[in-house]
Amino acid sequence: MANVGIVGIGHTKFGNSSEYDLSDVMAYAATDALEDAHFLARRKEVDQVVVGNMASGLFCHQSAVASALVSRMDMEPVPAELVENGPASGASAIKIGYMAVASGMADIVLVVGGEVMRKVTGWLGTDYVATMLHTDAEYNMGLTLPGFGGMFTRMYMERYGMTERDLALLAVKNHANGAKNKYAHIQAPCTIEAIADGPDASVVNTYVAEPLRMYSTCPVSDGAAALLLVNMDSPKAKDFPKKPIRIAGIASATDTHCVHNRKDPLMLNAVRISAEKAYAMASLKPSDISFAELHDAFSILEFAISEEVGFFERGKSFLAVRKGETNIDGKMPINTSGGLKSKGHPVGATGVSQAVELVRQLRGEAEKGRQVHNPKYGMSVNFGGFGNNVVALICAKE
Amino acid sequence: MIDFSMYDQKEPKISAYKCQKCGSLYYPAPMVCSKCNTRRDPETNKGWETFDLEGPCTLLSWTRLWNLPEGYTKKNMLFGIVEFENGLRASGQLEVDDPKTGMSLHSTVIESNERPGNPVKVFLFTE
Ligand SMILES: [Zn+2]
Repeated sequence: MANVGIVGIGHTKFGNSSEYDLSDVMAYAATDALEDAHFLARRKEVDQVVVGNMASGLFCHQSAVASALVSRMDMEPVPAELVENGPASGASAIKIGYMAVASGMADIVLVVGGEVMRKVTGWLGTDYVATMLHTDAEYNMGLTLPGFGGMFTRMYMERYGMTERDLALLAVKNHANGAKNKYAHIQAPCTIEAIADGPDASVVNTYVAEPLRMYSTCPVSDGAAALLLVNMDSPKAKDFPKKPIRIAGIASATDTHCVHNRKDPLMLNAVRISAEKAYAMASLKPSDISFAELHDAFSILEFAISEEVGFFERGKSFLAVRKGETNIDGKMPINTSGGLKSKGHPVGATGVSQAVELVRQLRGEAEKGRQVHNPKYGMSVNFGGFGNNVVALICAKE
Repeated sequence: MIDFSMYDQKEPKISAYKCQKCGSLYYPAPMVCSKCNTRRDPETNKGWETFDLEGPCTLLSWTRLWNLPEGYTKKNMLFGIVEFENGLRASGQLEVDDPKTGMSLHSTVIESNERPGNPVKVFLFTE
């Protein structure tokens, strides 16, 4: 298989882009990535465009967004396809782009992930996202993704003794990182006094899906992110001025559609299996990873995923967070970008956005105060459904 | 043909499934038995038994949901995951004063028209 490297990255500022067309939001990030790769003028030499998007049909009443994007970019007749895998659509698009290069069918691939969710009300948005659940057995019951986040959190708390304050500590850490990230939706730090310890904390930080509170739940965001992939073994790789960041491992796995049908609902099998496959592909182990971007749509998932991928023992990750081990200067920095909590979660963009953060950190291009010291390997986990379709990615500085 | 079914309106029920070959139980409906690979044809249901999933169950986890989606008019609602005595589990709505993981509950089925579209069958777990 060919070695696949990332030679260009692009990212919009996450937040409210509801006045823009989804194709324009995605085109902005794509143009960023082509410029970063010094390849904008040669964009028609791209062999393949892969777009990750979850639900443009629902959120924007728009279909065939890959075709629209290529035309917005003046890139015709470059082939373009859409990849949909719920909130893991972005990382799945990277995986398909990787496969296109690794197979020899393409040397240069543009991967773009994007979502515009704020054209509709929060109530409708919650309903649209919930359509990824099992129609009869979950969605029709009135359940939503935060609902499962809440029930998962309660099970974890009751089994392992984690507290609501531990969840708040994650919000404080991720907001501190996101406050320094120029792409983050919420660039504001928060204090443990304001959201957990102080007298007004329960008013500031209200319940969303008990025991999950607002500061343990990601905001609804619009945005896009993009990568330019290249076959590192092809002579074309020399045309790119920035040293490629190599995709060392990428893998995905699935789990039961119904959460209640998992023997132990606290086991995130698709996370564990996708991570194991990515480690095997990269010939690496958890202790080799320098930092990670983990899909904290609900803060509990940062804890649970960090255990499933082998950074911490099961039920022990929150103890490491209490000691600051996942801070920027800790043993295993997690969600250096601010995570979904602070950076935001435009569902189809998130997997690509996580990869952009891996590249920024590995290049040493992260903002002052949130740059990890000399990282070699970065890992991301993009979590689709309530854990029923997950993609793990490992990037390496060459 | 006259439809007599309307004269025979029953309480709403939700079905679970049993593979006759190996005895495995399922909810929701499978298309193939994960244990013995027997296929289920939803039209004939040949080789499968159906039964109403209801009765005593135990609460495995629960949440009070505040940001309800489009269509719901209540301020908040309780949801839970339960396990029945036959080992099957289900997710549904919970109506108890003081929910506690591990508590004994009783499951019935109601028809709900809160979400847009046709009415749907919903598990209701009560004390
Ligand atoms: Zn069977």
